[in-house]
Order: sequence, then C-alpha cells, then structure tokens
Amino acid sequence: MILAVLFANSEGNILVERFNGVPAEERLHWRSFLVKLGADNLRGVKNEELLVACHKSVYIVYTVLGDVSIYVVGKDEYDELALSEVIFVITSAVKDVCGKPPTERLFLDKYGRICLCLDEIVWKGLLENTEKDRIKRLIRLKPPTEF
Amino acid sequence: MAQPLVKKDDDRDDEEYSPFLGIEKGAVLQEARVFNDPQLDARRCSQVITKLLYLLNQGESFTKVEATEVFFSVTKLFQSRDIGLRRMVYLIIKELSPSADEVIIVTSSLMKDMNSKTDMYRANAIRVLCRITDGTLLTQIERYLKQAIVDKNPVVASAALVSGIHLLQTNPEIVKRWSNEVQDAVQSRAALVQFHAVALLHQIRQNDRLAVSKLVTSLTRGTVRSPLAQCLLIRYTSQVIRESGNVQTGDRPFYDYLEGCLRHKSEMVIFEAARAITELHGVTPRELTPAITVLQLFLSSSKPVLRFAAVRTLNKVAMTHPVPVTNCNIDMESLISDQNRSIATLAITTLLKTGNESSVDRLMKQITNFMSDIADEFKIVVVEAIRSLCLKFPLKFRALMNFLSNILREEGGFEYKKAIVDSIVILIRDIPDAKESGLLHLCEFIEDCEFTYLSTQILHFLGIEGPKTSDPSKYIRYIYNRVHLENATVRASAVSTLAKFGALVDSLKPRVFILLRRCLFDSDDEVRDRATLYLNTLGGDGSVVETDNDVKDFLFGSLDVPLVNLEASLKNYEASEEPFDIKSVPKEVKSQPLAEKKAQSKKPTGLGAPPTGPASTVDAYETLLSSIPEFSNFGKLFKSSAPVELTEPETEYAVNVVKHIFDSHVVFQYNCTNTIPEQLLEDVIVVVDASEAEEFSEVASRSLRSLPYDTPGQTFLAFEKPEGVPAVGKFTNLLRFIVKEVDPTTGEAEEDGVEDEYQLEDLEVVAADYILKVPVFNFKNAWESMGADFERVDEYGLGPRENLTEAVNAVISLLGMQPCEGTEVVASNSRSHTCVLSGVYIGNVKVLVRLLFGIDSSSKEVAMKLAVRSEDGAVSDAIHEIVASG
Repeated sequence: MILAVLFANSEGNILVERFNGVPAEERLHWRSFLVKLGADNLRGVKNEELLVACHKSVYIVYTVLGDVSIYVVGKDEYDELALSEVIFVITSAVKDVCGKPPTERLFLDKYGRICLCLDEIVWKGLLENTEKDRIKRLIRLKPPTEF
Repeated sequence: MAQPLVKKDDDRDDEEYSPFLGIEKGAVLQEARVFNDPQLDARRCSQVITKLLYLLNQGESFTKVEATEVFFSVTKLFQSRDIGLRRMVYLIIKELSPSADEVIIVTSSLMKDMNSKTDMYRANAIRVLCRITDGTLLTQIERYLKQAIVDKNPVVASAALVSGIHLLQTNPEIVKRWSNEVQDAVQSRAALVQFHAVALLHQIRQNDRLAVSKLVTSLTRGTVRSPLAQCLLIRYTSQVIRESGNVQTGDRPFYDYLEGCLRHKSEMVIFEAARAITELHGVTPRELTPAITVLQLFLSSSKPVLRFAAVRTLNKVAMTHPVPVTNCNIDMESLISDQNRSIATLAITTLLKTGNESSVDRLMKQITNFMSDIADEFKIVVVEAIRSLCLKFPLKFRALMNFLSNILREEGGFEYKKAIVDSIVILIRDIPDAKESGLLHLCEFIEDCEFTYLSTQILHFLGIEGPKTSDPSKYIRYIYNRVHLENATVRASAVSTLAKFGALVDSLKPRVFILLRRCLFDSDDEVRDRATLYLNTLGGDGSVVETDNDVKDFLFGSLDVPLVNLEASLKNYEASEEPFDIKSVPKEVKSQPLAEKKAQSKKPTGLGAPPTGPASTVDAYETLLSSIPEFSNFGKLFKSSAPVELTEPETEYAVNVVKHIFDSHVVFQYNCTNTIPEQLLEDVIVVVDASEAEEFSEVASRSLRSLPYDTPGQTFLAFEKPEGVPAVGKFTNLLRFIVKEVDPTTGEAEEDGVEDEYQLEDLEVVAADYILKVPVFNFKNAWESMGADFERVDEYGLGPRENLTEAVNAVISLLGMQPCEGTEVVASNSRSHTCVLSGVYIGNVKVLVRLLFGIDSSSKEVAMKLAVRSEDGAVSDAIHEIVASG
C-alpha cells in the first residue's frame, strides 16, 4: 500500500497531500515528520536524487524537483525499491506537465493537471500507471498510443 | 497550509505570486455556482474545480451541506462535451466522496459513460463508480466490470482490475466470481494489466494454499512481462516455499526460479529475489552466496535507494548468518561515509555484527569519527549494537567501555545519554572486570550531567555496587559533590547513596556521618529529612532500628509491599491524627492486565530495570508467600516458574499458574481473572487431582474470597514432597467457585449464588523446575575450576530430528539450564555442535553441562554426549537421570 504522497514547497508548506489507509489523527504527525525529514536532509540535494529512510515497517522515499519536495510513503509490497519506481513516475509526470523542474509558481499554475496525473499514477494506495507518455494522454482522456 | 509567497523581486513579480493567493473556501464555493450556468464555460469550471482540489489537498474539509451542494452542482457538468472538463469532473467526484443517498444522482451518467464507445470514458467511469458504489449497485454493474477486465484497451482492463482489488475488501463474494476473467488478464500482453491481474488473482486465492501454489507454478513457468509483476511473483513464491514447510529436496523448481531471478535485467527483481533467498527458512551458506554477491554489488551502486535496500537486507542477514556477510565488509566500511546517514548507520551496525574480536579496535576508530555527524536516533542504534558486541566479546570491554565513556561526555539528548548509561550499567552487571572502570565513568558523568533522572538513577546504582568494590572511598567525593552542586532531587538521592556506603563499609561510617550531618542544614526538607532518618538508623539509639541487619534491610531490602498497592493506599489516606501504617497496605500482587503485558518491551534495559529485574519478581513472590501464614514455615523459596497458562486466550475465566519450589514443598499460585462483567465469583479455589503425582501430598490451600470482573486475584495450593528430591508429576485442575449475577447498571451483585466449576488444563512439575538458570561468564574457567571430581559422562541417542537446532533446544528446555556464550545457536545445516549450559540445582549446588551433538546426514539420527560437572556427584547423576528419562 502506498500510504501517502506529499508535495511541499521549499519552506515546508504543503502543496498536495494524499493519504491512503492512514487514520485522520495520524496524518498531521506524518505531515510534520516528512517535512522535518526533508528540512534535515534535502538541502543541497540535486533534482531527482532519491533519499530513503525507513521507520519500523514503513518506507519513505523522497526527493527534490525544482522548488518542490516530493515524499512517497509505503509499506508491505511498496518497499524502498517499489517506491523509487513510484516517485520516478511522479517526477517524470510533473516535469512533463511543467516542461521543466517547476518553480512553486509553475507548480501551482499546473495544479489541476498535476492532480490529474497523480490520480492516474496512484489510485487509493495502488500504483496504476507508470509511463509518463501514457499518463499525458490519459489526463486528456486519450487512449494510450500502443493500443 | 501553504502561505502565499511574499514578493521578493519587482522584476519577477509574475513568477512569485501564487495563483491561489488569498484563496478562501467561502469564495470558492460561491464561484462553484458557475457549474449551474445554462451556458457552461468549460475553462472557468475547470479552474474552479482546481481550486476545490487545492482546498481539499490542503486538508480543508467541507461541511455536509457544502459538500452536497458542490456535488449536485458538479453532476450538472456531465452535460458538457469538453473532454478536459470531464476528466476533472471524474476526479472531483472521487475527492468529494458523496454519501450513499447522493450517489444515485450521478449513477446513471456514470453507467452511460461505462458503456460509452470512448474507451477513456469507460475506464474513468469504472474507477469513479467503484470508488463511490455500494454492494447493491455493484451487482448491477458486475457484468460490465467483467467485460472490462478482458477489454482490449489496457487502461480499461487495469481500471477494472484495480477496482477489483479495492472491492475485494468490501464485497469479496462478488469479486471472487471474476476469477476466470482475471485469469485471462494474467496472460495479457500489456505489462501493467498483467501486474494488476497477478495481484488480484493472488488476493482472490490467498486463503487457498493449493491454489496459490498452482498459480505460482504456472506463472513461474510462463512469461511475466512487468518487473513489478515479477516482484509480486517472487514474494508469492517465497510464501509457497515457506508454507510448504519442509526443505525441498532433489528437484527444487521454486528455489531455482528465485535464483534465476538474480540474473534478471531489472534491479528491482534482482533485489527482490536476493532478499527472498536470504529470508528462506534454513537457507544454507551455499544458497546464500549468490544472493549476497548481488547485494554486495548494490552496495556500491550510485543509487542511494539500492544501497539502502542492500545494506538493510545484509544487516538482517548478519543477525542469523554473520559469516557469509563478512565478504561485504570492505564495501560496507566505505559506506560509513555515505551521505545518507540511514545507510551509514546500517553499515556500522552490520559491521558490528559481522566483526570478529580482532577487528573491534579498528572498527571503533572508524565509528568514533562517524558519531560526531549523525543524529541522536542513529547514535542510539549504534550504542545498542556496541553493547551487544561487548557482551559477545567480553575481553574487549576496555576499548568498548572507553568508547562509551567518550561519547557520554559529548553533546547529546536525554534518550541518547540514557542509552549509553544503560549500556554501561549492563556491561558492569554482566562483565565483573568492567565494574570498577564503569562505575568511575558513571561518576565522572554525573559531575556534569544535566538530566536529573539519569543522575538519580546512577546514584542509586552506585549505592548498590560502589560499596562492594575494592576501594569504595574513591566514590564518596563524586557523591558528596552532588549535595553541593545539584537540585534537591539529586541531593536527596546523594544522601541516600552516602547512607548506603556508611551502612556497608564500616571504615567509612564515621566520615559518612560527618557528611550526613552537614546535610541537616540543606535548604530542602526532603534532603534534611533523609539525612536525619539515615543518621538515626545508622548511628541511632536503637529507637528506629535495632541491629545492623535491620539497618541493611531498611536500606537495601525491597519494599515488602507492591508499589502500586502502596500508591493506592497513600492516595486513599486522609490526613488525621492517626499516622499512616504501612502494614495496612495489601500485599497481594495484582497480576497485570493482558494489554500491559503485551506492551512491555523485551529489550534489555539498564537502569530502567535494575539488576534485580527477574529477581524482583522472585522477591515479590517471596514476600507474598511469606505473608501467608500457611506457607511461612516452608523455608527459602528456591525458584518460581514463569506463569503457565491453564486456559485458552479469551475464555470466560483466565487462569495461569506459577510453580513455587521450596526444599520440601511446592506451592501453586493460580492467578485468576474473571472476564465477564455480569458475574462476581466467590470462594474461588482450584481443586487438584494429584493421582499422577505420587510423591506429592496436599498440605494447605488458600481460596480467593471474591473475584470481581477484571480484577485479578490469587488462590494457592501447597504440596509436600520429599526433601531436596526433584519429584515430578502431573496435576489435573478444576476451578470451583460460587457465581453471582451482577446488575450491570448498579454494579451490585445478587445475594444468592450458584456453585459452578470450570475445567482447566493439566499442569506438570518437571525436572527443569528444580534447576535455576544462572549464567557463568567464562564457561571454560568455571569448568576447569569445578574440577573433574564429580564429572559424569555418557552418550545418548536422541532419535531422528529435523536438524540439530531442534535437538539442542529440546535438551535445553528439558534441563531448564542457562545456555552460555551463545552456544544455543547452531550454525545452519551444521553436522555437529557443542553447547554449554550452567545452572544451580535444588539445594544450591552449582552444575555445569557440556553437550556434544552430532547428526547423521542421511538418517537424521542425533547422538549426544553429555558431560556434567557439579559440586555433588549425586547431582551430576541426577542430571543424567533427567536426560535418560526425558
């Protein structure tokens, strides 16, 4: 299960947060934990360089893309390697929508599309689509090219 | 919440403002009225939906009325033919998650889309419907979903399959009917469809072992296109291997499949296979080697995720198979400087597990540099690893103790410092040679310790251990400094510690008196009171205590009432002329509620649980038993067993029993809990049939007068047995009581009760009950110094066994002795093993045992040579007797 996908700006403010199977009362804790993790470790990290951590049986893979930091949290079959696959799809889709690693402004400008991409990538905690070109078509309700 | 950014640079003001600047829920809800316009502006509607999404993603919540209003407006947007807007509508409906009575409004539109010629409408409609639907609607759309699973368009098929995975949680019966279609989808050429289908098919069949095994067999033979699906398959394969229990012999298709995956082109698959192999039960070093080789390659990967995954797995392997992991030590050492501190810490702790005695010093040097730049949470992990290492190589205690004392002096938070102090305390306790240096390190630490809790704990520990050292006077300075420099809590602790030195070391007594007298002028009343009390007890006129032994009992003896009871009594005590009488505190130990027991950590703790950890329960038992007049003349308690459960979990009455062994008596303490709120039990007693325990005769019993709901109580039964003889036998138990109905509203019980009985499990007294587990730290020395005077050696056949581990564990539990020097762990698949045990036999006779095992590789027959040394030949014979009859 992919427990959470979270986007934050460089000051740690949340831009997008989507939780799956995380009780409402634990979300705030996760949010502050992830933001702190990023603040401690993401400084000076290159775009899309992956960082990884685990807490008990939960894995966290996170990175930076432009002004935005991205966190993916998973457990069970979504271990660090599966999550790195998920975050790779997310970063490619975001780059594709924005045309480059986004500034915060650009990210917010493309907010609707990014939400649609996320909807195609992670559905209620399961990875659904993995190719950015297909995702690009799907959010415009176009069938995949190979079909 | 994201705050609007402030303008930083006039030239870039377009760049810097957020499009959601000043966004406010009320205003957006107003804007949402555009959804009702007869002429829909698709672009504007999309913008408003984006704003709604932004609000929802920020954690903003809509009231029921607001959500309903927005939802109804959104449904109007199905009229629009704009594709972009339709996609947004699908998303916002899922996000709003309308309630069951609202769903009906949108169902027909979605059903229409589900049958649309446009594939993408179908896929999205399926996802939305499955998100918002309930069971009744599902039966209506089931036909379409089954078609969708085998749809030519992979997106439609995936949408239906993933919906199936979610719906399986809520409507398993329906989804299970889709097996055939899902089976077809598994053969799909589209990688993702295959991935989703494999996951769903496994979930549908997960409770049917045979079906899962068949699924895995067919998939491992076929082609799996997606690496993600391959990873799932690897997991399912190792599940099948695990559940098949026995080690496969001869042809091993499943293991071969896992090994084959090590050569896959995707790193994810390689890693998954390597991990699966390392986690196999009873894996041999030969099987481990290829897996460890690929993990070793990952250690030097440029991708941090791979390095992390590899080092994490190797860390786990090192716990059970340290030797094969040593090949990776060089790569692991270079990871100590890894930028990712999680990776570095895992590398360090792995090295600590795989290191041998000769590499300890070099390793410590590397760790010293590393410690300064990691966070406390990682440091704690390292400290714990060092503690285990030190217990493994006691001869290296100097280097490791020095390391601990060095890091103790550096900056750090409470948890970190506590971990270090706990470690030092454990080392002092387990390695006698480390005592003096360890105590001095602790003394130096309290000279500059900012944590009151740690200072008081260390002072308490010093009071117990310090007086027993060769030169107790050297600690006095550190303790007395506390009286001058610290806060009142620490000062009071220091006074108590001083008193303990005074009581135990006669030569120090006069000087301690002088120091204690100075404390009489302290500004804090607790400190003054303690000083007065100790001056009177130690050197008083006999009005407080009469003899030296009384003084020691007072200072060192455990409080003879449970702390919880004392606390409760003190809370109930109302200040009056009548002084509080400690004798009024009930002595019966309440057994812990189950939840608390589970919550207890099994980790060894230092100061938190004083050295009397296990002994303190024995103390408590001893106090409890001696307070019961019927048992007070049984003499000294030799051993109390761990509680043996006599009932299944979650039955009406929970009963466990503790066996207390005395020289010529055995007392059964039955801990009973009544789990029915509507019942009160009275006159509870366990009736025992001892016809299969010939040497035992019942001499006394003590019933439990009342057993209310969820308040544990005890009933006792005492048997006499021949003195000093390890008599064994089997006892059948029946719980007998009077049950009274309780009115749940008032909590009052009815007056009349009914007699009732409840059958409990049988209980056995075995030979192991007469042997105390007492470790020795250097078995070889202990064995040599015991001498061969009463050595008895014999050989035994243990019959066919699965492996040596099973045989070793069986003998250890039969004898109930303490395995020493980690010899209870058998290297996997080894053909011979030596295990050494130590203990104290009833009558306080020390016993050492050396066991040599050998297993025949074909017949699995295990042979054992047993050598026993003890201080008494009869005891050595008795140990052989236990093995021969066991």
